Parts: sequence; C-alpha cells; structure tokens
Amino acid sequence: MTATKIISILLLSGSTMAVAQSPISGFMQQKNKGNIVLSYNAESYKDVYLVPKKISGVPVFEKVKTNSYSLFFNYGISKDVDVQVNLPFIKSTGEASPQVLSNLGYSNERSGLQDVSTYVKYRPYDQKAGKGRISIITALGLQLPVGSYKANEGLQSIIAIGNRATQLNLNALVQYKDDKGFFANTSGGYSLRSGDVPDALTGEIKLGYAIKQFYVDAYLAGQSSSKGTDILKEGFDGVFPKTMVNFSKIGLNAYVPIQKGFGVAAGFSSVIGGRNVGAASGGYGALIYSF
Amino acid sequence: MIKISKLIMAITMLSIVATSCKKYDSELPTIAGIAVAGADFSTLEAAAVLGGVAVTLSNKSTHPTGNYTVFAPNNSAFARLGLTDGGSLAALNTTFLTNTLLYHTSGGNIAGSAIVSGGSSASITGLNRRYIFRGSDKYINGSKILATDVKASNGTVHVIDKVILATGVNIVASAQAVAGGGVFKAPELTFLVAAVVKSGLAGVLSDPMANFTVYAPTDAAFRAIGFATVQDVSNAPAATLQAVLLNHALGGGRFTSEYSGTTATTAGGGTLMYGPFNNGVFTIKSNGITTPANMVIPDILCSNGIVHIIDRVLLP
Repeated sequence: MTATKIISILLLSGSTMAVAQSPISGFMQQKNKGNIVLSYNAESYKDVYLVPKKISGVPVFEKVKTNSYSLFFNYGISKDVDVQVNLPFIKSTGEASPQVLSNLGYSNERSGLQDVSTYVKYRPYDQKAGKGRISIITALGLQLPVGSYKANEGLQSIIAIGNRATQLNLNALVQYKDDKGFFANTSGGYSLRSGDVPDALTGEIKLGYAIKQFYVDAYLAGQSSSKGTDILKEGFDGVFPKTMVNFSKIGLNAYVPIQKGFGVAAGFSSVIGGRNVGAASGGYGALIYSF
Repeated sequence: MIKISKLIMAITMLSIVATSCKKYDSELPTIAGIAVAGADFSTLEAAAVLGGVAVTLSNKSTHPTGNYTVFAPNNSAFARLGLTDGGSLAALNTTFLTNTLLYHTSGGNIAGSAIVSGGSSASITGLNRRYIFRGSDKYINGSKILATDVKASNGTVHVIDKVILATGVNIVASAQAVAGGGVFKAPELTFLVAAVVKSGLAGVLSDPMANFTVYAPTDAAFRAIGFATVQDVSNAPAATLQAVLLNHALGGGRFTSEYSGTTATTAGGGTLMYGPFNNGVFTIKSNGITTPANMVIPDILCSNGIVHIIDRVLLP
C-alpha cells in the first residue's frame, strides 16, 4: 500500500461553528483495497467571524473547544469506484462561568454521535498527460444525523455539535500529478441541505507531494452558503441552523506509513475568514490501517 | 475534459474567492452586534442575553422607522451596582433586568442632537427619561452621556455611565419591591419598609400626586444605628421613626444631575449638607451624624419621586 492511495484522509465533520475540509481526495483505492482510519481532532476558538467584523470572545461561552473522534472507512469497489463512510463522535465544550450557566440554564458541554456520511467516488477520467497524469473524480455523498444531539436550543446551540440537516453532496475534482509525486488538485461541490439549513457551495485547492514513503499536502478550502441569517443581524431569531455559514480555511495534512499496513497521519487547520463561523484552529492525529 | 476541468475550477474559485476575499466591514452591526463586539459592553451583552433582548435588538423595531435607540451602560456603569460580569447578573430579578434594559430602549432614532436640555423621551416600557444638562455634560436622568450617535443598522446607541433605573410604581411600592426581592433577589430596604409602615408615612409616600426626593437607607445603615432586626424597627415608637424618616424626604423629585446647592431643608424641617458632585454622586450629611452618607444606588425613578439609596441613616 503506497501512501498515495490512502489519502482522503479525514472527513472531519464539524460542529455549527467548526468546519471540515473537502470530503474527497484526488486519489483512489484499488479494487478490494482500502483503509480504516481512527482519528482524534482537537480545535478551539475564542474569536468569531460575524458581520461586520471578527469579535473576540464567544457570546455566552467565551471560548469553545471541540474534540472529536472519527471512524473512517474507505474501500475500492473497482479501480475507479470507491466508497467512504465516516462517523464522528464530537464533544463541544464552552467556558461560560458556572454562574452564567446557572442564570441561563445552559450547559458547557454538548456531545454525541453526529452525522454519518457515505460517499461514492467515481473516477471517469484518468489519463497520462505529459510527465504526469490528469484525473477527474466525482463524488456523491449523503450525510445523515444519527445521534440525538440538538441543534436548536437558542444561544445554547452556539456549542451544538451539528445542525441536524440531512445533506446530499455533489463533488467534482480535477487533479494533475507529475511522475515525481507532486500534485495539485481543485475541487468544487454543492451541498443540498434539508430543513432550515441553507445549501452551500464548497471548494478546495490543494498542493501536495505523494510518494511511497510519505504524503504531505497543503490546502485552502472554503464554503459559501446560498442564503441564511447572520448571527445578531436583522432576521436572526436565535435559530442557529438557519444561519449562513461561510468560511475560508487553510490546512496541512501529512501521512507516513509505518509497517504491516499501518500508518499515521497528522494535520493542522485554521479558519482564516468567514461569516458566522468560529475562528477555529486545531490539529488531528490519526492511525490508519490499509489493506 | 478540459471544459469540465475549467468548470470545476470555476466552482472552486467562486466558492473560495466569495468567502475568503469578501469583507463585511462596510456593513453596520445591529445594536446587539455593537454590544457583543464592544469590549466595554460585555456586561450589557450578558444582560441582553439573560434579559431576553439580544434577539430583539438584532432585529428591526415595530416603530415605523424600524429602528431602536439604546442608551447603553458601559461595564463600569454596571459595576456601580456590583454587577461586574455576566455571572454577577444572577443577583438581579430577571423580570426587573428585562424591564430595566427596555427602559434604556426607545423605538425610532433619537439623534444626539435631539437630546436637549429639559427634554425627555419615552422608553418602550412607556416610562419617560429626562434630559438634563449640567455644565458641558449631558445626562439622561442621573446618567452622564459619554458618547452619542454610534450608528447601528437598526438604530442608534448612546453610551452612558450609570444604569438608569425606573420602577414604574410609587416610592412605597418601589421600596416594597426591593424588600421583596423584586429588584435584587436578595431583599434590601426591609428595615426602611418597616419604618415607613410603622411611622404612618406610607400614605403620603405613595400619594400619586406627590413628588419627593427620598434618601433610602440600606438595611446595614439601620443595623449600624442599633436596630438588630426588622422587628426592632416595628417595635420603635412611630413618632421617632416619623421624625427620622422625614429627615430623608424633600419636596420635588430630583436626580443627582440636578443638584447644585450645598444644603437642603427636609420635609421634617431639618437641614442636609451635600458634598461636592463627583462622578455622578455626592455625600449627604445630617445634623445627627458625623460621617456623611454615601450613595449606594442613586437616581431610581418612581412614579411619584426619585429615590437614592444611601449607606447611613440621616439622623436629624
């Protein structure tokens, strides 16, 4: 198993104010090959991008930490078709004082299983081009809330672990990888979301280097909601799932195979701009078993 | 394939560029947004959340202009009441907190230029606030206006240095509300209420046609002159209590911002001596005490006068 086959890595689903990178990578598993990933992600923010500007201090909760565990499964049905399943458990913790919590009847913690997501990736095009290859990958994903978490508890939902929308995600990606291992890809997607949660356009640009011994990439990812309310702006009614959530995020991923199919991955990401989103930064570590 | 690649690239760029490059700095925040963004409004922010007006002040008002005007107390204004952070707001009765926040709020835009000496404006509770000019300073009731015309997308904010307080009921009912935990959850003015009842002055002090200034001693002030319990007050001679209480009342309700003299004659015929006006308060000394009383909570507007809570009994 080479490093290049692995990496979609971590479909780290986010909470209301913390957000994920693109769910698909530019690499496919081979037929009957795949991997299982157990990851731990930790991030936090105390600043929030609101309109018109970033504020310091999360309302009510001052600072929010999100810790999540994800179980991710990735399997090649054929050379050009993969399936992916991801299930995260998320714990979101605020730092409101005991007195503030008592005043409002709030809690500093929300946790639980969040949403299960399943993707089918299909690579319709993969051809040699000059000293490398160009491939195009499409993906169709379905994300369903499975936990009993709540998303609409007024300002308590600032630390909600999700928005409880069912999502249908369409993604497409084009990648060029040269013979030396350098690659660049760009992906875009549309996320159709149920209920009050606005649909979103997503995108990502990624540069990386993937050889047998290791993998590394750096990315810029973004999301732009189709509509929605702004927190504390006209139209805001305290229902957080209705809010427009835009963001730009930068990050790094790295993977090193160890032996006997096992490998480790780690990464870092930071939200660098947005609308109704926490300025979250954090990192993850993952253990990967490839077969 | 090249076309598809370009399309994917276009979607990506659109999404990322739309989010990462867009700045919203030119948009105005709402009044709630100003409270949340301002470091000096963190207690107001917490109060708006606890008092249930944060969403209200994020939206348009029902006023034809869709706007609100909020006289926004800064953190030190709340700290004067012992409310030093969001948690400390637990000391307040929540209904009183909400009504107090609404007393700071009007429908429509009140521009700084509309704040004129002798003028007034109605809050959305229906209770009025008075504008008072003192030297070059402008006051709303007893609170100094520190900054005017902070623009919000749903109105206007003026910054003030004291929380403005109004009960909407007469002086006796106001004191009873304080004693019953209707203002601060911890009862206060319980000795005073007992004294008012026993002295037979309750009728006068609740007269809707009257207009008094009343200096209201705290429970600790009564204890300091020897009353160990509320019952001790009730056991005291009515005439004695009446004489003491009348030394705390003056004809004509006035805010601290309206005082200029150094002495005043009380309803009982005694004389009070005022210290210099300093940071919105002044000390009060009567003939029967050596150390002047300090104002603990000044400028509480009642329907028939103004109450200033003080830390000593003004013995005649």
